[in-house]
Amino acid sequence: MAKILHIWSLSKSFPGQVALQDATFDVEEGEVHALVGQNGSGKSTLIKVLAGFHQPDPGHNVTMRDEVFNIGDAAAAHRAGIRFVHQDLGLVEAVSAVENLALGFGYRTGFGRRINWKKETLKTKQALLDLGFDIDVRVPVAALGGAARTGVAIARALQESEQNISILVLDEPTASLPGADVDRLFNAIRRLKARGIAIIFVSHHLEEVFEIADRVTVLRDAKVVATVEARELDMSSLIELIVGRKVTAATVNRSIDQSLEPRLRVTDLWGLGMNDVSLEVRPGEVLGVAGLTGSGRDTLIPMLSGAMERLGDVSIDGATIRAGKPSAAIAAGLAFVPADRLRNGIISMMSVRSNTTIANVARNKTGLRLNHKKERAETQDWISQLSVVTTSSEAPISTLSGGNQQKVMMARSFRLDPKVLLLDEPTQGVDIGAKEEIHAFVDAAAATGSAVLIASTDSAELARLCDRVIVMHRGQIVDTIVRGGGAMAQTIDKVLLAGSSLASN
Amino acid sequence: MSTSESGVLATPQRSLLNRLGLDRFSALYLWGAFMIIFGLWKPDTFLSMTSAKLVLGENVSTGILALAFLVPFCAATFDLSIGAVMSMSVVTMCFLSDEKSRSFNMPVGVAAVVTLVVCTLIGVVSGFIVVKLKVNSFIATLGLGQVISAVVLKISFNRQITGTFSDTFEKFGRNQYFGIPVVFFYLAVAGIIIWYVLEHTPVGRFIYATGGNPEAARLAGVKTDRMVWGSLIASSFLAGVAGIVFSAKVGLFTAATGPNYLFPAIAAVFFGASQLKGRPNVAGTFIALYALAFGIKGLQLVVGTDSYWVNPMFQGATLIIAVSLASQKGIAKIRKRKVQTT
Repeated sequence: MAKILHIWSLSKSFPGQVALQDATFDVEEGEVHALVGQNGSGKSTLIKVLAGFHQPDPGHNVTMRDEVFNIGDAAAAHRAGIRFVHQDLGLVEAVSAVENLALGFGYRTGFGRRINWKKETLKTKQALLDLGFDIDVRVPVAALGGAARTGVAIARALQESEQNISILVLDEPTASLPGADVDRLFNAIRRLKARGIAIIFVSHHLEEVFEIADRVTVLRDAKVVATVEARELDMSSLIELIVGRKVTAATVNRSIDQSLEPRLRVTDLWGLGMNDVSLEVRPGEVLGVAGLTGSGRDTLIPMLSGAMERLGDVSIDGATIRAGKPSAAIAAGLAFVPADRLRNGIISMMSVRSNTTIANVARNKTGLRLNHKKERAETQDWISQLSVVTTSSEAPISTLSGGNQQKVMMARSFRLDPKVLLLDEPTQGVDIGAKEEIHAFVDAAAATGSAVLIASTDSAELARLCDRVIVMHRGQIVDTIVRGGGAMAQTIDKVLLAGSSLASN
Repeated sequence: MSTSESGVLATPQRSLLNRLGLDRFSALYLWGAFMIIFGLWKPDTFLSMTSAKLVLGENVSTGILALAFLVPFCAATFDLSIGAVMSMSVVTMCFLSDEKSRSFNMPVGVAAVVTLVVCTLIGVVSGFIVVKLKVNSFIATLGLGQVISAVVLKISFNRQITGTFSDTFEKFGRNQYFGIPVVFFYLAVAGIIIWYVLEHTPVGRFIYATGGNPEAARLAGVKTDRMVWGSLIASSFLAGVAGIVFSAKVGLFTAATGPNYLFPAIAAVFFGASQLKGRPNVAGTFIALYALAFGIKGLQLVVGTDSYWVNPMFQGATLIIAVSLASQKGIAKIRKRKVQTT
């Protein structure tokens, strides 16, 4: 296939840091080209230079359709037909798809500058149908599903001069999508590909790379390590390229004393999307919760932690904890990491230190006074234990990458020495290196006798960590998978699929 | 994740604006500028001890009221009723200890305690409205402020009341130590206590966390409702203190007493929040308060007798200019991003 974009020796340095070094990268017509690498590997820098957000260092050589291309110039990128859909999509949630498209391009007006809504609606409808989305384009975007919203963002990026579009960059489009939505999005990507548009696809989910990508470019430590045909790779060789060493999945070898009383006991739990669920977790046991969004998997931990209202009894070591009060749950020995880190986890204006210690500030008190020195030392200790990348314990947490913010969330929970640890999507949006470290800490927590409950959409993660996995469907537990039956992740996926086909019948 | 990897570790070139700290120290620069300008313009009056003392003493009630606004503001909660609470405090003091007009004639100490109890109870009520009835604090306290003003007007018959206080109480408000008005020390003490609580106790951390991200703070075990409620009680109590200090110093109630102090207090907090640490804080509030106060004094001396309009004009204009200077930081960042060619 014809190469359309060709980049030779592209570098970008910031004072004190080289973010991208001598990168060589090319894009062929109509291919899906995955861009993978850990946080800080340079892939975002590459995208941002291409978008004209950063200007590259001199010395590069870039051609677009065999003509010299002025990389680092946003207007030139636009003229060359390169479009971007960023992770947060940039949609106006409160208005419809029609209006979102028009906001990007301007309304077509009729007599008296009247907006021609009929024409606009038809145009939007068609643009989305072309992507495989048959949706109501007049409802607010907020009411649409994740895939459809991404579809709207793509349609908006592609509108006007359609013939001219040559490359569409999708920056982590699946980061917050549940499984079924990912399939719908991939369907849209295949349609674009069929139209001859090349897709640059950034993702942390490596199994998606195998599903959709034709070629893969791996970045590590600001350098391009390899560009490979996707079919020549398997998962372990790709991971090795990304982290630069062989990652052997740690085998969990836990022995759970079945004679011990359960630490966490949930009896007859009812609530939003939850229909009479009971479960028990023993000390040292890790219980996984799988299920599609809306199955109860996503509301179980919020209910147990007090973030959401519930009915039914939840007890730790026999002592019932009050519903709807996180402070009471924490006092009873429960610690949890919420799924939506930005909204429910970090306090972005505060420092790494304040974010680490907020659940128990009193520990570092001397008399009435908060001992800042002691608190700083404790935070520093957590920073090195979890290898959090930050300039200091005093840096605002908003300056950290997602994976490092998540490690701070982990530290916040671990330092409570919890009897029960609840983790909701603990590695969402976290790169593979940090993921391994977080998993190791879950093992450590279980080893000290905590009862751990993990809700996750990542079956491989559940298989890696859990002794037992419960699968939820329509607010009930429909299956329990116990470690030892081999191929745990595949079993989980199979049950999940069976559950969703039950739902559609 | 993807937005942070390059921008963060890089140390951006510090612009001139940044190096001078025009953003974080704009109030100090402004203060210095006022001292120089008005010092050159009106050297004999502006630079005299008398006017310095006057400015220090005159702004104590405003300062305490600013602290009252600051505490809930740190928890992202507005208390706009404090002006009305202050006038409630003054009218209660005058009313309870007045020998001639009414029958109470309480000893001034008892009157002060009763006044503080009344004001604290108002805080309990506003906390109830915000926390339990879940009314946005801006609306709740704006409404409650009007209700309190109505009660104050009813008690005072919309007339001026002169308090007849004991000599001790008047000394409490008018004495000087080391040439400094005694009331200034009250402000200093109140400021140190609030500063200590906010910066050096767990409660302060909880208040800021509640202000930063209420839901995340609640999920981390912070009793956010208690923080909001408590800070509203504290603010009403402080507004009561502001009223008592005013009574001791001036000994006179007029309908304008409280409300007229609200804007300068809020201005000092907002302006102060852009200073030093870039979040609401005691030191920034005080610096902003006195920078504005000395500016106003200077302008009043320049304008002369009909300077009644100087106050609001100056407060409003400086607040806008100063806070916009602080947000230049953001503007400069954007500009740099566009120009950056390396």
